Amino acid sequence: MSGPRVGSAPPLPRGLLRLAIVVIAAYSALALGLGYWQGIRAQALTEDPGNPIVAAVRDAPRGRILDARGTVLAQSVTRGGVQVRSYPQPLAAPVVGYWSPTLGAAGLERTYDAQLSGFVGITPVDRLLRKFRPDPTAAQDVVTSLDVRLQADAARLLGGRRGAIVAIEPSTGRVLAMVSSPSYDPNKLVDPATGAAYLASLSAGDASASPLLNRATQGRYTPGSVFKIVTAIAGLGSGKITPATTFPDQPAEEKTGFVVQGYTVVDGHHDFTGHTALDLTEATAVSCNIYYAHAGLAIGAADLRAWARQLGFEASIPFDLPVAPSQVTAGTGPLNGFVDEVELANAAYGQGTTFVTPLQMALVAATVADGGLLMRPTLVDALRASADGSLIEQRQPQVWRTVLPASEATAVRQAMQAAVESPWGKPFAGSAKIPGVPTAGKTGTAQLGGSGEPHAWFIGFAPANAPRIAVAVLLEQGGHGGQVAAPIGGQLMGDWLKLAP
Amino acid sequence: MTSAPLVGLRAAALEIRPRRRDRETLLLLAAAVALLVGWISLSTTEAGRLAVGDPAPLLAYLAALGLCHLAFVVTGRRTDQVLLPVVGLLGGISLLFMNRLPQDLVQQQVGPLELTLGPLQLLWLLLSLAVLTVLAIVVRNDSWLRSYKYSWAVAGVLLLLLVFALGEEVNGARLSLRLGPLAGQPSELLKIILVVFLAGYLAEYRPLLAGMSLRLGVLRLPPLPYLLPMLAMWGVALAVVVVQRDLGAALLFFGVFLALLYLATQRASFVALGVALAVVGAVLLYLLQAHVRTRFQIWVDPFATAQGSGYQVVQALYAFGRGGILGTGLGAGLPAVSGGVPVPAVHTDFVFTGLAEELGTTGALAILGLYLVLAERGLRIAAGAADDFRALLAAGLTLVIVLQAAIISAGNLKLIPLTGVTLPFVSYGGSSLLASGICVGLLLALSDAGVEAPPPPGRPGPAERFRRRLAGGRERLGRAVA
Repeated sequence: MSGPRVGSAPPLPRGLLRLAIVVIAAYSALALGLGYWQGIRAQALTEDPGNPIVAAVRDAPRGRILDARGTVLAQSVTRGGVQVRSYPQPLAAPVVGYWSPTLGAAGLERTYDAQLSGFVGITPVDRLLRKFRPDPTAAQDVVTSLDVRLQADAARLLGGRRGAIVAIEPSTGRVLAMVSSPSYDPNKLVDPATGAAYLASLSAGDASASPLLNRATQGRYTPGSVFKIVTAIAGLGSGKITPATTFPDQPAEEKTGFVVQGYTVVDGHHDFTGHTALDLTEATAVSCNIYYAHAGLAIGAADLRAWARQLGFEASIPFDLPVAPSQVTAGTGPLNGFVDEVELANAAYGQGTTFVTPLQMALVAATVADGGLLMRPTLVDALRASADGSLIEQRQPQVWRTVLPASEATAVRQAMQAAVESPWGKPFAGSAKIPGVPTAGKTGTAQLGGSGEPHAWFIGFAPANAPRIAVAVLLEQGGHGGQVAAPIGGQLMGDWLKLAP
Repeated sequence: MTSAPLVGLRAAALEIRPRRRDRETLLLLAAAVALLVGWISLSTTEAGRLAVGDPAPLLAYLAALGLCHLAFVVTGRRTDQVLLPVVGLLGGISLLFMNRLPQDLVQQQVGPLELTLGPLQLLWLLLSLAVLTVLAIVVRNDSWLRSYKYSWAVAGVLLLLLVFALGEEVNGARLSLRLGPLAGQPSELLKIILVVFLAGYLAEYRPLLAGMSLRLGVLRLPPLPYLLPMLAMWGVALAVVVVQRDLGAALLFFGVFLALLYLATQRASFVALGVALAVVGAVLLYLLQAHVRTRFQIWVDPFATAQGSGYQVVQALYAFGRGGILGTGLGAGLPAVSGGVPVPAVHTDFVFTGLAEELGTTGALAILGLYLVLAERGLRIAAGAADDFRALLAAGLTLVIVLQAAIISAGNLKLIPLTGVTLPFVSYGGSSLLASGICVGLLLALSDAGVEAPPPPGRPGPAERFRRRLAGGRERLGRAVA
């Protein structure tokens, strides 16, 4: 301890300067705080259910949700002095969702809550313009790309069985129909008298029924052979296989099985292909597991996943509804995520740890149909002012990904057409054939292990030479894809071609 | 021996000569235009068409500002020309906002009149401007502050004890003191007394404090006797929190104290020690005081108790969000919710939030910018002061306003736990407006470097002078008796 030492005091101005710097720093922090709450978090705060503005907006009528032809899917009606939502087309529930002051919102009602309620806090410019309008809120109508007639047709074809159907216009990405079954009646849900009890009844009982789940976007299923289209796209795109590629060992292995690291890949249905070494088209037509296992190994883990990612796998697809990401592999193994070559070979024909949403598979079909271009999927065509119907925003089709050159897309298209129409293909996917219309497709029968029925899949598009609709059909544990899913897909596509000639 | 104040007064009487203040004139005109536009915007929003409403309150306020300016011009003192326009604009914004809020938020009987929020605030603003102007013109001599720093300190402690003993509890904090018909918040006055005392104390002991050290390992601490004021200050701050439950005042007191201590000594070890003490104090309070714990928990997650203790903070965040970058416009913020304002205390503790909702980030930044201008002027005045006492006093008065504005804004923005202090010149409230008026009035007086020079250093200390004066008095008394 040193003794006290007297010195001279430091000059004050130096200290004042430092103090000024501290003051400026503190006020900069305040400015950042303002920017955080009023810029970054402003939208979320304003839409938070606890915000009194939400309650104020709740008492104002919301905009309508319409299908592409103007049919009302959702609207506000006054019942007992209170605004209640009404859903004249309950079978659109998986897309439209519901909106209730007490139970919250789902579907488009949720995604477009700001526009429907008219409380759009989107851009500062919008807010500035609003200052010059007398009404603080201006509800908007959401015009969807759905066609209620096709939606009803799809629901009828599913017939209440567990499953999902997605129909897309390949050239635009517009979703024409999206059905998930079993579903629910949004009218009962939003009725203040019955809502809570109805919601409880939907959540109770058999959990696997999940009527509130939109299987088309949120359900993830083993794809089985419909995934072979992804493998074909990866093979052609990466150049690892061509339409003429054959695997010389394949005919012999039809009898013995194809042994990959001790695991045997088998086919059960090659009595009539004999000793022919199948090319891409033929292998797709007869859904040859052994051919696609070889193809998968030739393509390799990295390229298979890379091309799947191009198609939308492994990430949330940008869409008007939340979409669960599809996966090629659980992604924990050393071989680019695959555990070993067995898993890679299995994944190449849609088994293994591959899980996909019906929307994802519809996009795969649409990509082939649209000459290798993947259009960004949309459910909304336009936003209009509720008051006078004036156009606020018109959505334009957007190319999301350029997946394949047209020539290679054509090769896949021919393979898918052969699967429906060629003599070898007919026994598998022939039931999807639309009379008088060139039809392309691929079935899938996804084995789940154990004794349960397989998932039945179909993806396809029509007319094959100038596609106007692409579909994915899934029936949960529905049985054989060719027997159950393919007829539904063909019927639906044929009906659409008649509805929208 | 001639007494100093007398010389000052005589000099003033001789020197009164009008002097133009062009810069102040222009800035005041700009502020007046801004406030008039704001008034029209507010009236237009409220009427739903272009309207000016009843502009009498604003015109009265602008006239008062003009009178202050005129008084400065006529008396011809060379004081700062930016402070009055800054204060005028802040007060004007306050006037606009208090007229926009539901008037029944405050009701008070003044003589025969039942006044509501807007008129009351106008009254306080005018009084504040009057105090500011009188101080700025009349104060030419600082010995009444400089020489009696211990008397001021004693007065401050007495005031504090008075509040402790007789204070009325409002919203869980014992802040107001009622003496007959007058009610006020003494901590507003206390902060000025504190600054006066600290400026006097630090100016006197600055060389000692800056130079001496007590070595403890690598730490160089001030010698123990000089640590006592810091500990005393710490104790006062803690007492304010415990007894008054006034976290904001405590934070302000201690913050101003540390800033002035650093300014005087420029030793980081003092600040480090002070911050350490503050942390220890905060932990102690957290452990011992339920209301401090609640405040802290609200700060960590207000949404957890959005319907209970966190309600106010959550509502404030919603209001910030509704405002966005450009704001809803004056008068276009969320109207009353179920009979009350959406954010409780929007006219006092949360006035910054209310303004940020209606004026947006843009307007809120402009308001913060006004405080920064005030800081710049105040610190500049300190830098140009004739001696250490005046420099420390000017810096302290500036910091009281700037730091208080920062504390309440940061609390509104959930950057720090909320502590209830007012936004100077903007929040509703007489005590706060008068105290702020005193601060800026003194600052203005200090900014005139042409007045009486400070007493030469080394003159006898106040105690000594007091003794001499007593002795002289006794002598005179003796002679008179004789």
